[in-house]
Amino acid sequence: MTDVTVVVNGQLRGATVPPETTLLQLLREHFHLTGAKLGCDVGDCGACTVIVDGMAVNSCLMLAGQVDGRSVTTIEGLASREQLHPIQKAFEESGALQCGFCGPGAIMATKALLDENPEPAIKDIRDALSGSLCRCTGYTKMIEAVQEAARVLRSESPKQLTHAQP
Amino acid sequence: MDDKTKILEREQLDIEEPLRGADVELRLPMVTPREPFPIEPLTVDARQQTRAVGQRATRPDGRLHGLGQTKYIDDLKFPGMLYARIKRAGIASARIKRIDTSAAEAMPGVMAVLTGKEIPVNSFGPSFQDQPVLVDEQVFHAGDGVAAVAAVTEQIANEALDKIVVEYEPLPAVLDPVAAMREDSPKVHAPNSNIYATKVIRKGDVEKGFAESDHIFEGRFATQMIEHVSLEPHAAIADWDANGRLTIYATIGRITLARSDIARTLKMPMSRIRIVGTIVGGNFGGKNEITQEPALALLSKKTGRPVKGLFTRSEEFTSTTTRHPIIMDYKTGVSKSGRIIARQIRLVLDGGAYCSWSETTLGKACILSPGPYKIDNVLAEAFVVYTNKTMTGAMRGFGAPQVCFAYESQMDDIAKALKIDPLEIRLLNAFDEGSPSPTGQVLHSVVVKETLNKAADRFGWEPRS
Repeated sequence: MTDVTVVVNGQLRGATVPPETTLLQLLREHFHLTGAKLGCDVGDCGACTVIVDGMAVNSCLMLAGQVDGRSVTTIEGLASREQLHPIQKAFEESGALQCGFCGPGAIMATKALLDENPEPAIKDIRDALSGSLCRCTGYTKMIEAVQEAARVLRSESPKQLTHAQP
Repeated sequence: MDDKTKILEREQLDIEEPLRGADVELRLPMVTPREPFPIEPLTVDARQQTRAVGQRATRPDGRLHGLGQTKYIDDLKFPGMLYARIKRAGIASARIKRIDTSAAEAMPGVMAVLTGKEIPVNSFGPSFQDQPVLVDEQVFHAGDGVAAVAAVTEQIANEALDKIVVEYEPLPAVLDPVAAMREDSPKVHAPNSNIYATKVIRKGDVEKGFAESDHIFEGRFATQMIEHVSLEPHAAIADWDANGRLTIYATIGRITLARSDIARTLKMPMSRIRIVGTIVGGNFGGKNEITQEPALALLSKKTGRPVKGLFTRSEEFTSTTTRHPIIMDYKTGVSKSGRIIARQIRLVLDGGAYCSWSETTLGKACILSPGPYKIDNVLAEAFVVYTNKTMTGAMRGFGAPQVCFAYESQMDDIAKALKIDPLEIRLLNAFDEGSPSPTGQVLHSVVVKETLNKAADRFGWEPRS
């Protein structure tokens, strides 16, 4: 058995799991965070994407033991009780979520992108979402949603606000 | 006498029982609504745009999807739940000589093993009931299930599959649909013919039409098998309770059809089966019928515990329905100006091992095969044949995309040969308002020409003739 201590969505969590447990299983079965989905189990579809120390990863390919001492953000960590995260809002309003199965993964991939690059070009968005397969939307709505979310996040960020005030 | 008085007395009483305060709110008004329901159905004229056009709509479930709060089957868990896995045949055509499950059953953590022989009525299907839940005597394609295991973890269930020994006697496999149509071909479902459904559409006289044509074009077009690849794999949870009632949580688009199919396979009244259709993580036609549900139900019955079954991605490709590959022969007679005079079509649909929604697909492919063009002489013949491959079934369009690929490819060939602009030749032949379809249906709301012109205008089509 492997002991894992990990910060999940800002909270320190611990679990003792069999060594072959993947990060996805740790999140879904031990922490009951079922937002990240099992789509292919081989790292192709991106439905299981979460953020580990700022980087989007396929949680089905990462072992639980590998996140020991690190910080994981999942889809459950984005919205507060009061409001949606701008990316979630943009995805919802642009119709980028249809059956919704790829949504959590795509939103987390977007989050990792926008944290790094607040003004992504369409090419950057396509690159960032290339690991998130979607069979419903045809991706155009997702790209629109990412652009919209980037716009909102830029206008919300404090740096931009100080610029706006002379 | 006494009884009668009692009844009379009771009738005289105020029969309206006093209701608790909370329930008063729930009661329907006793007076009829002032505005009667419209008896005339609200219909709009064929080309009138409704107010919905151009409106922005959001999905009612979009919020939960974005929050990651939507519960798909795999997100559900019940106390004591077991995990089921199905052993796949891995051979296209064979007779099953022996299935030995004893080693798997002896494994700690394995709660039950199920084979096809234990299923009360081992066949289902929306048109023909030709598909077994788990094959018992003969394997029809490599993705067939031969046995199912329920264990306390998925890992143990997987290990148990390796311990199930199946002895096969290989049979000749039928893989080419055209060869399968020959009389001397081995039969997939012997003694029945491999051709299990046909459709013919005749309009006018094609031979006369070809004689009148200036040019005749012939071509063969073929499409491949396509899997839906919905992001959520097929999944279900079956719970057979001590009362003999069955609840199935399933990622199925047609829960009523599933209910009758499950009732048939399990030989139990439909009233004892409850199907909970959860949010489906992508269907595209691939989740329109049952797959593993009866097996899960029987495993639940054997163990007395809820059983979850989740297909792996590779099972999605081998053991669920796919889009029909079609071999399409087109012969088209045209005038010098490019007007289509006659079109003869022969479609051979590769139906795979089981019928599934092939009959529906066959019909739609055949009806649409001449294309959206005014053709006086049409002969379309379509056949769907059994092969020892993954079964083909419903997928978006039911055969329409395949034939569209064929007739539009041929339109381009004709345009090129006659040196006519590809757009012109389509505008010359396309349906008008009120044109009859190949089956004689008078068509309304026909805007194919307007659409073509508008599209050509938008993307800057320049005549290439």
